[in-house]
Amino acid sequence: MNSVMRGALLIADRLTRTFDSRVAVSDLSLSVNAGEIVTLLGPNGAGKTTTMRMLAGLLLPTSGRIAINQIQVSSATADGARRAIGLLTEAPGLWERLTVRLNLLTYARLHGLPDPERQVAAALDLVELSDRAGDLAGKLSKGLKQRLAIARALIHRPPVVLLDEPTSGLDPASARHIRDLILKLREDQRAVLVSTHNLAEAEELSDRIAVLKTRLLALDAPAALRASMAGAKVHIDVEGDAARWSAAAITFGGAAAAAGSRLSVTVPDLSAVPDLVAALVSTGARIVRVAPDQRTLEEVYLELVGAEP
Amino acid sequence: MTAVTGSSWQRISAIARKDAAELARNPGAILPAVAMVAGSLFPAFFVVVGAPMIAGRGLEASGQFSEEARAAVGQIPELAGLSGDGLIQAFLFHQFTLLLLLVPVVGAMALATHSVIGEKQSKALEPLLATPLSTIELLAAKTLTPFVFALALTWIAAALFIGGVWLVSEPGVWRALLGVRTFLMLCVLGPLVELAALQLSVIVSSRANDPRSAQQLTSLLILPITAVFVAQLMGAFIVGPTVLLLGSFGCLLLNAVLLWVGVQVFQRETILMRWK
Repeated sequence: MNSVMRGALLIADRLTRTFDSRVAVSDLSLSVNAGEIVTLLGPNGAGKTTTMRMLAGLLLPTSGRIAINQIQVSSATADGARRAIGLLTEAPGLWERLTVRLNLLTYARLHGLPDPERQVAAALDLVELSDRAGDLAGKLSKGLKQRLAIARALIHRPPVVLLDEPTSGLDPASARHIRDLILKLREDQRAVLVSTHNLAEAEELSDRIAVLKTRLLALDAPAALRASMAGAKVHIDVEGDAARWSAAAITFGGAAAAAGSRLSVTVPDLSAVPDLVAALVSTGARIVRVAPDQRTLEEVYLELVGAEP
Repeated sequence: MTAVTGSSWQRISAIARKDAAELARNPGAILPAVAMVAGSLFPAFFVVVGAPMIAGRGLEASGQFSEEARAAVGQIPELAGLSGDGLIQAFLFHQFTLLLLLVPVVGAMALATHSVIGEKQSKALEPLLATPLSTIELLAAKTLTPFVFALALTWIAAALFIGGVWLVSEPGVWRALLGVRTFLMLCVLGPLVELAALQLSVIVSSRANDPRSAQQLTSLLILPITAVFVAQLMGAFIVGPTVLLLGSFGCLLLNAVLLWVGVQVFQRETILMRWK
């Protein structure tokens, strides 16, 4: 466990989980601090749900350690650790024959909350479902069911919140509502771990993104992640034929391509651009415009997961 | 984080109350149990009251019934003091009380399979397992509501049975049914058989996706009860207090084995990974 991890509300330290001979998650380390949103990105079968289940105390890791709200999770402490966690599962898992209110009331009682009725009212208020309290859960739309499931995960006000694909299959308006709720959790200083396939959502919500494919491939802020992968790209418009300056650019950067008067150069990172421009000018190039072109998160993600077997 | 307390009992009762509310809204689960009440009562009244009326002659006209009823007085002391049609009626009603044991078995089966498979179908188990609820508490909660429902139904069936006997039979016959034998059947063996049916239903339901297929397997428990009932009717033996006590002891052992199996099945990882 490193110094960055210490003090975090959620810590996974070298987690590995195997099922018989299949390795679902290997040597995964990450932490989530109070007021931080970390997103788990990865293809289907990458181990995201297994990771969520381990962190929620539902599955014990084959090796490695988990600490939730300063509690080291073991089979002996898992029940206690679960009190500090709110888990939104991939499927809402509601009791559809019961009312919205009774769904939440049962969870308030399970958590042993004082004045459960008041807690239910507060949770319904948070997800703006107070006017549907008396409706059967089965009669709600998919988006409202998801909001109810989130209210259920938050009813005991856990400091650590795990959300497994919270906007999957929702219409844009419902997804927006859920994303706003997640952002509110950051304001409330919760540690939030979100699993998603939606790259735009990951970029919008996350303080950091973890790319997972059985093992952790990358963990960084979205901007840093975009810039970090094999450098950034910069477009340089010059006077005349850009091909004349390709050789000079290649010796400086990783790759260069000329098209008309535009030279596109891959550099280790954007901090290298001033030196590149100076080098081109020193060899006689007259530069009209310099435009950095970082790669999209999608490109970075596909390159990361595509490189893995 | 909101300060949390909460005892084991609070968590069990939270799920049990939720299950009760769900069952109350699920006629498919309750109907078989209620139908079994009618099914356990009808044969007795048909044989003791309906058939003689249709045949136009009293039970005493059957020499075989008279003989068996007199012979049974030694093993069922409550029959002493009765004679003629009253004795035969009481003897036959005693025989049919065994059918009341089908009510807790069928009731428990119907309610428990719907309760467990309902949770699986709605994928409600994973969020439930992410709470402080322990798996033992979940097992207890999943058996509590069906147990109370089915036991209440059994006692309602017994009250209807005794009330019916009071209405249609000779004076004093109903009182002959209120003895040690009936008590052991309804208050000792009945709950133990019910608990076994419940545990078996919960275990089978963990591997089944449809309540009916789970019920087909657990309905095997009906066979020994029916076999004993038929053997008793054929005069092979009379189920007296000693047999009931031995049966109760056997059921207790069966429950211990089923509890062990149930605890193995109710592990978080097993529920998440193997309950499909």
